[in-house]
Amino acid sequence: MPAKPVNKQVPSKGGIFSKFKGNIEAIAIGVKFFFNPQRFTLIYPKEYIKLKEGYRGFIVLRKDKCINCGSCARICPAAAMRLIRLPFTDPKTGKTRMKLWPVINYNRCIFCGYCVDVCPTEALYHVPYHDVVYETMDIMDLDLEMFQKEPEWDTEKLGLPVKYVVDEKMGLIKVKIKEEGEKQ
Amino acid sequence: MSGILDAIIKIITWPPLWQLVVLGLLVPLGVVIFILWFERKTAARVQRRIGPYHVSPKIAGGLQLIADLMRYMFQEVIIPKTVDKFPFIVAPLAALILSIVPVVAIPFTSIKAYFPIDMSYSLIISLALLTLSPLFIILSGWASNNKFSIIGGMREAYLITAYELVAVLAFLSAGAITGSFNLVDIVEAQSGVKWFIILNPLAFAAAFIGVLLSTSGFPFEIAESEHEVVAGAFTEYSGLVYGMNMGAAYLKRMIFSIMITVVFLGGWQPYTPGEGFIAGYLVPSIVILVKATILMMIFSFFRAVYGRYRLDQALDIAWKILFPLAVLGFGLGLLEAYLGII
Repeated sequence: MPAKPVNKQVPSKGGIFSKFKGNIEAIAIGVKFFFNPQRFTLIYPKEYIKLKEGYRGFIVLRKDKCINCGSCARICPAAAMRLIRLPFTDPKTGKTRMKLWPVINYNRCIFCGYCVDVCPTEALYHVPYHDVVYETMDIMDLDLEMFQKEPEWDTEKLGLPVKYVVDEKMGLIKVKIKEEGEKQ
Repeated sequence: MSGILDAIIKIITWPPLWQLVVLGLLVPLGVVIFILWFERKTAARVQRRIGPYHVSPKIAGGLQLIADLMRYMFQEVIIPKTVDKFPFIVAPLAALILSIVPVVAIPFTSIKAYFPIDMSYSLIISLALLTLSPLFIILSGWASNNKFSIIGGMREAYLITAYELVAVLAFLSAGAITGSFNLVDIVEAQSGVKWFIILNPLAFAAAFIGVLLSTSGFPFEIAESEHEVVAGAFTEYSGLVYGMNMGAAYLKRMIFSIMITVVFLGGWQPYTPGEGFIAGYLVPSIVILVKATILMMIFSFFRAVYGRYRLDQALDIAWKILFPLAVLGFGLGLLEAYLGII
């Protein structure tokens, strides 16, 4: 048997004057923000959010610390890290032999940071930015030389660093980060 | 050579042409472009955003609207196979023209030589012409042969019944005070500080919200709501014809603003028209247009504050609050006429 439709009504709270008051309050808030706008839109190329150390951004290799164990390539869930075989001359003995070195393919990388976590000698580290542009997809598959350099970060040259903080009255607000020289 | 120049100036400043083309079309079009920019910028300020910015950062994104206009102008006009072609194209044109035509009945000065048509029932005629254009919005919804368009057109039809009576009664309260339907008499009765917004605020409030309802201003943007019925009656339109549809609503609101300025805000009142074309026609019309533009800015400010009402809520407001308000305003006008305040 289908349910019987029942006509229910929500009782309206307050009379016409409370509604009038609510409208006036809404318009007052609008006028307040119209004359004193507290904008928090990020004008991206001119401003950027400064991320803290420990942010999982692009990955860089310190070749002198690497012990060629291959753990990074084994743990990579996206198969972005792979090992390439290159000759290596030992500075102590002077002998040259082939070794396996990790290189990364940013077409595949998901920036999970497992490789950095698993590295036994801390040969891999993150840089705290993620907005890097490569011109073609081929360049994104880095070679060993490129993997040792920190990628160029143009945003820092173009824009000012900002951060978002929670204010008690306004909620979320945008604050410019002062450089260390200005603080003193 | 000077004879040709004089002839051209004489043709351009011929009151019917000047009033219909310059005061009715070109100036309101410029105001509408400014108001669209102002509306987006105001909503952004109130909602803590930036608004149009990247096209010209130095003048706060002022060229964004020109860019949008260019985009509408060069977009392809698509006419679907299923539509009824003749009304589909004619309806937006007719709505646009009928939004502008009421300007011929509105006086911009008190000097008779500069009236396009001298008539003693200008209030009623301009109101009657203003209430014609929504019929063509319904027609364009019907001709589109699309369920969203028909729903949008029907919503417009519901809203006509709600606001038309309110707006007309509110405007006629000025006739009740002065005992005249001539807009020149109405403006001249408001000399000094006896503007009808002060003498009859109830009718002004009813007219203000009625105009918002009639031009689908933001809290009452019901007939062409984007989220519910995909721009309502204008779903099938594209390119310049769509831009014309959108522009018609804003032009109509501008003409309504001029009407409110003339009826409630004293028209050219702080200024007294003098002799000649500039002192007698140009300056008073500038006074009226500036007042109307400020009114338009207040209209567009409401977009930032309010969310959209549902259709039933809007009809509720119109019939239960605005209609009694308009009747009270009319009564107040009659009372003031009886007491002889004017």
